[in-house]
Amino acid sequence: MAIIDVRNLQKSYGNNQVLKGVNFQAQEGEVIGVIGKNGAGKSTFLEILMTIKSYDIGTVIVFDEDIKSIPTNRLEQLRQNISVVLQPTQFYKTLKVGELLKLFKAYYQSPVDIEKIIADFKLEAHRKKYFDKLSGGWKQIVSLAIAFLSEPKLLILDEPTTGLDPHMRNLLWSYIKNYNDKTGGTVILTTHNMDEIELYCDKVMLINNGVNEVFETTENILASGYKSINAFYLQSVSI
Amino acid sequence: MLTTQLKYDLLMFSRELFYLIFILVVPPATYIFMGQLYGDFTYAGNLTYAQTYTPSFILLITFGVVFFSFGFEQVMHRTTGVEKRISLSPVPKKVLLLSSILKSIILTSFGFFIVYLIGIIVYNLSFNLLSLISSYGFFILLNALLLTISSAIYSFFSNMNSALVFSIIIFQVVMITGGFAIPVEMMPKFVTVIAEVNPIYHMNKLFIAIWNEQFQLDKSTFISIGYIVALIIIALVIIRFSTKRRN
Repeated sequence: MAIIDVRNLQKSYGNNQVLKGVNFQAQEGEVIGVIGKNGAGKSTFLEILMTIKSYDIGTVIVFDEDIKSIPTNRLEQLRQNISVVLQPTQFYKTLKVGELLKLFKAYYQSPVDIEKIIADFKLEAHRKKYFDKLSGGWKQIVSLAIAFLSEPKLLILDEPTTGLDPHMRNLLWSYIKNYNDKTGGTVILTTHNMDEIELYCDKVMLINNGVNEVFETTENILASGYKSINAFYLQSVSI
Repeated sequence: MLTTQLKYDLLMFSRELFYLIFILVVPPATYIFMGQLYGDFTYAGNLTYAQTYTPSFILLITFGVVFFSFGFEQVMHRTTGVEKRISLSPVPKKVLLLSSILKSIILTSFGFFIVYLIGIIVYNLSFNLLSLISSYGFFILLNALLLTISSAIYSFFSNMNSALVFSIIIFQVVMITGGFAIPVEMMPKFVTVIAEVNPIYHMNKLFIAIWNEQFQLDKSTFISIGYIVALIIIALVIIRFSTKRRN
């Protein structure tokens, strides 16, 4: 079942056209990595999918809704199915982790038990700490815990592992994979870490010069002769 | 949802020591301190210190709460990415806005009653229920006007540091030219000129008049009301354009 369908997406900032005609589809349960060099338009693309950024031309269908013409009340309903982890992650700095979880549970009107989330994400030791005082890694974990509160059908992650040490990165990915396996939810993420793409993603979309130059399964890319996704990236994208 | 958001908004305010001291402790303390220095003077309209400065300090607290805890906080949330993250959750924007407004009204009302109480206990300010009701009604109107002006001004800022510097400077300017320190009429000419363009000065004049049941529709009152109305219209236009730009 198609969760997202994007056709000929175009977006400019003033005279700078960032997206020049991106086509993209995401099916239920897929993990898709969006790659490209800095400034390629990855975050812009994700923010359009998150429904927080407008676009100039094209069609973006999310959960069978055309997000350009959707009324505000339906947009708020649509957002109940989408969760995000942003880079950098920011929440109210003077709220403690436990309080943030409770507040977002109210936002999402979620039936999920806070205690279970705290146990699942090993947050017991941090529940009384202010979000602002957490390390970057724990901020990302809390952000992911909040994202899972809503039991989302679509999880969008903008560079979720940037700045994390290998242990934290593994921990974060174990949660993402576990979510994907258990719920069949769709995951779309951007990253500069090609090993993660190779290890965890079903598909790869390479944005280059404003278009999706490649949108293929990880398996097929590797089968076409590239030693790794990193090698594919280095050969496909010039500095 | 609104009560939950309001509960957390108030909780966050209570944890900001800067806001607490600067907005809710310093003005009442200054009100008491200045009363010890100038308590025996008689002010314009044959009013006592408490009759003049009780509404003034209530307005000063209102200004502080609205500009720092409402306006500046909007910039802080916008620039740190909090606003973006919250906007991605399904909470309606009007709930967030309404909670912010209610928080400001609760805090400023706290300021209203604490200064009023100090006036009664320390400076023998008389209690009159009818006057209290009309003053509180006007005070709520002032809240609404300041929230609108503050929203418009802070919509220009995309950098937290510049917004903070602006807030601190504007607080000083308002303090001096709003008639909160010593009467503007006793200050040098250039200060009185600045005071005329300071909307808080006009609000202060009107608030003192209503507080003391001396409100009259004369030329000075019309100038003050006209000036404030003009500013509110400009503020609404700015808010409309900035909202459109952000969307």
